[in-house]
Amino acid sequence: MPQSYDYDESSETWPFFILAVLCVVLVPLTAMQLWELVSGKKSEQHLKDQASILGEMSEQYASREILEFRAKAMAKKSKWLAKRNLFIIAGWTVVAYLVQYIGSNEEIQDAATLLFDPYALLDISTSSTDREVRSAYRKLSVKFHPDKLSKDLSSEQRSVLEEQYVLITKAYKSLTDEITRENYLKYGHPDGPQAISHGIALPKFLVDSSASTIMILTYIALLGLVLPYFVSRWWSRTQSVTKKGIHVKSASYFSDRLFNYKPSQVVTLDLIIEWLSHAEEFKLMFPELNEKTFETLLHDQINRKHSGNLETAKLRIVAKSNVLLFGLLDIATTFRNLEISNMTIDTLKAVVQATPISPYSQLLQLPNVNAESLTEGSVDDIRTIGKLFTYEDAKIGKILGIDDSTKLQETLSVASSIPHLKLIRAEFKVPGESVVTPQSMPHISLKVLVRSAKHKFFPPNLIPDEMCQDKDDFESLKDPFASLLEQPKLPQTFAPYYPGKRSGCWCALVVLQKDGKVIQTPMLVDRLSFENLNKDFDKRTVKNLDEEFKPEDWVIGSIKIPFSQPAPEEKGDFFFRVIVKSTEYFGTDLDFTLSLSVRDPSPVEQMEKEAADEASESDEDDSELDENDDSNDESDEEESDYTDIDTDTDDEEPEAGRVSDTKAEGDSAEN
Amino acid sequence: MATSLSALQYDTNSKLLDVPDASEDIEMNVKQINKLTQDLVSENNPNFTPQPRDDSTAMIKKLFENGLKQLQQQKMAEALKSVNLAIEMAQRKRTSWEAFAVQLQELQFMMKNRVDLCLVQGKFMDALQDLDFLQNTGLTTSDVFIRKTDSLLKLKQYEQARAEVERGLSLDPTNAKLRVLHIENTRKLAEYNGDV
Amino acid sequence: MSFNDTQHNSTFTEDDSGTVEMKAVSFYTPLIYVSILVISLIVFASHYRKKTVKELNELPSLFDESIARDLYFELKQMNDSGEAKVHEKVLKAALLNRGAEAIRRTLKLKESEPQITMLYKNGCVGEEYWKRYQNEVKIVELDFKDAVQTAELMQPGWPQLFIAVSKEICFNQALKRRFQAILLRKEVFSKQWQVNFDSTGKLIE
Repeated sequence: MPQSYDYDESSETWPFFILAVLCVVLVPLTAMQLWELVSGKKSEQHLKDQASILGEMSEQYASREILEFRAKAMAKKSKWLAKRNLFIIAGWTVVAYLVQYIGSNEEIQDAATLLFDPYALLDISTSSTDREVRSAYRKLSVKFHPDKLSKDLSSEQRSVLEEQYVLITKAYKSLTDEITRENYLKYGHPDGPQAISHGIALPKFLVDSSASTIMILTYIALLGLVLPYFVSRWWSRTQSVTKKGIHVKSASYFSDRLFNYKPSQVVTLDLIIEWLSHAEEFKLMFPELNEKTFETLLHDQINRKHSGNLETAKLRIVAKSNVLLFGLLDIATTFRNLEISNMTIDTLKAVVQATPISPYSQLLQLPNVNAESLTEGSVDDIRTIGKLFTYEDAKIGKILGIDDSTKLQETLSVASSIPHLKLIRAEFKVPGESVVTPQSMPHISLKVLVRSAKHKFFPPNLIPDEMCQDKDDFESLKDPFASLLEQPKLPQTFAPYYPGKRSGCWCALVVLQKDGKVIQTPMLVDRLSFENLNKDFDKRTVKNLDEEFKPEDWVIGSIKIPFSQPAPEEKGDFFFRVIVKSTEYFGTDLDFTLSLSVRDPSPVEQMEKEAADEASESDEDDSELDENDDSNDESDEEESDYTDIDTDTDDEEPEAGRVSDTKAEGDSAEN
Repeated sequence: MATSLSALQYDTNSKLLDVPDASEDIEMNVKQINKLTQDLVSENNPNFTPQPRDDSTAMIKKLFENGLKQLQQQKMAEALKSVNLAIEMAQRKRTSWEAFAVQLQELQFMMKNRVDLCLVQGKFMDALQDLDFLQNTGLTTSDVFIRKTDSLLKLKQYEQARAEVERGLSLDPTNAKLRVLHIENTRKLAEYNGDV
Repeated sequence: MSFNDTQHNSTFTEDDSGTVEMKAVSFYTPLIYVSILVISLIVFASHYRKKTVKELNELPSLFDESIARDLYFELKQMNDSGEAKVHEKVLKAALLNRGAEAIRRTLKLKESEPQITMLYKNGCVGEEYWKRYQNEVKIVELDFKDAVQTAELMQPGWPQLFIAVSKEICFNQALKRRFQAILLRKEVFSKQWQVNFDSTGKLIE
């Protein structure tokens, strides 16, 4: 143990120390920055990929205030990026300087050359044989042997060369002589253990006399105050935000609301807005405002009302609502509450479209619509975009109360570009199996067609099965969800009143029909092709569906919903309600019942499978699809000879009593 | 919370509690206690049991049967009134501790009849809310789904109607009436969406 | 001291030929050092424990209100302080209401347990919510026990029947609440769907 420490008087170690510290910080930061740059480009690219009329119109119809707000948000982000860039550049400059300094500093060079490397000294490769070592040594010793040196060298040069000779001899010995070699391998030097010095990578003036107190204080401050401060701040930050990105207090509040929710209460938009207005995030953003104000502001957003001098505050809390509502949705689905989950997504729609929930929301979300003439003027009760497109353009103008023809054209182009989902096929699928066997792990596989409300209706069976098949290769068997990533990201939403560009998603909820409750947290669908929307398959002009419809013209989208639990142990049919709900537009959702038919694999299939393990299994797949189609579409099923029980009370009374007895316990407790 | 109760008033004569301008929850609790007090005052046995009281049962039954008689005479409005009265009586006369299973069954039975009377008279919203009540108290027979779908169709809530009829079919896949309603609703929904 | 000095010097001269200056260290220095360390740790621990206990006490209840319990104690206090003579049956009614509420809460907590556990595990809620849940379970349990004990005081031998009756009351009250909500639901849905009715409730088309 050496009793004293060397200080870095010759400044040979501390540059390395600083270099190491800098690299630890700079390398990940730079990588992060580069990654963000690339992914940012990508996300911009995707907006361009699926550029649709919706995004264009969204920009066109946005008010000046909204556009300014969006621009400001972008600027803020880029400013922050600029600061980070500056830091990265400065950091690398220091690194470059240090490297240069180390390279030019002789002391450091000397220290480096003192390291003993016999192979380098003999100028041979590390894999050289004994013979090669010997020949290299002989050659060099001839050159450097003191007796062979030329006489006219100065004494200084002579001593350098002599030293070199000693080193060469040592190197040779270390590779040939047993003991020396062992020394070299063990201690890194042929002479045995070298003196080890522990140094402090600080220049001596910092440790000397008067500066030493400052140094100690700095150490204490660093280790005792600064480090704990940052660690605790980081910790409290991670503790204050849930995994879903909302404040824990907001999450607690939402959970309380769900926990105290009385089933007799009706879930309305106002209720969700009231809950939302208690979010901790809003309080942190605007400590001077209270919940009531936030509630009013959110209602202002939905009713397209200007909030006066609180307009910017309104836009900021609206922008924050998105993540909060998703947090609430997660909590509501975990509490298995379907009503609240549905209303939460509807609230998001209302906020995004700045349109209250009413029977006419579908039409009121369109631009230029005159609400009064819509509800009072029309004779026919029109509530959907699809119904709207059964009328001639001029009549539509009248219904919506739009006189200006360019405005009407814009309204119509938005209306026809709003994506409606149409279900083509739906099934529970176990990768590599033709049926869902007991306790297998199925997922819900949907084939959908993104269509415009303007398009002529056609039954899903016009789309041939071949177009609805997934690839059956090894990759998709291994990860059936991977293929979804091949679909393009959703384009920008038409949302001129929303304070940001957004593309949104569809939320897929799965509900157990037996008790009418949600069984898993929502799956978000953010990739689907909107290509079909560019098609002009106008329901007013298409007369002969069979002639004019060409299935190959249409793009079929794929949605796969992971199923949170394995298939039941016992065979039978289990029914689930699947709701695929858009977060962006009213009237574009899917809602249907799907049966999970748990069966034993049929013996024929098993034999086939054994026989044709490697051959293509397309035939089998076809039959399987047909089979599943039948079970999905109840209305198409043949009428059974079952006679209706409408005998009322007597038969059902005891059963009802029994059911309610067991169920009521839980139910009443809920109330 | 206790501070908000400082306004609690107690009437020594009527033995009833009152909290003026109280929140919904307080009001509800005060009502519940007052109901319990009234029930206790008319109960002389200190060790009362959940056993249902026969006199209440008989009276409610009589009122209800009155309604059924009127129904047979095609007096729909009167029949509904009688059934409403029977339900009202059950709410008032039954003590809070009489067996829940009995009270639930009695109420559900009367409500089912009220639903039919409402449907006949075109009171679809009344029927729908009664059906919601029945469903929420654990009655999920096909009958309830059939009537619920019917009311929703009449109220032009086709999307809700679809959810109800599909759930009904999930629980009873072979029910012919539900299937007919499903087809009808699908047709109406297509028309509503202009998909014909 | 001198002994100490020489020994130190000798050890050092052996290795290091006296480059290190020696300073005399008092015998108490290590003791002071250790005692400061131990005391500060003890202070921190007790402070920390007090803080967590305080935090647990300050955790808000999972339930929005505790009116059933508060009403009972308010009445009891009214009676005890002689402010008003509260009839025994009213106190009994308030106690039954409290018992019924305690049963409802016990059931509700039991029923919500898997959901709250899942919320916590999925990271949808923070640590605090989980603590609140566990706290609540204990509080409700204690409250129910207390209500049963009060029943015994009020009428010896009653508790068993009290529990049975409270259970029925709990369910019947829930049923009644739902029944009473029908009217309000009608209004809300009529507004939401924009449908109109005549005075008897018949749909106007």
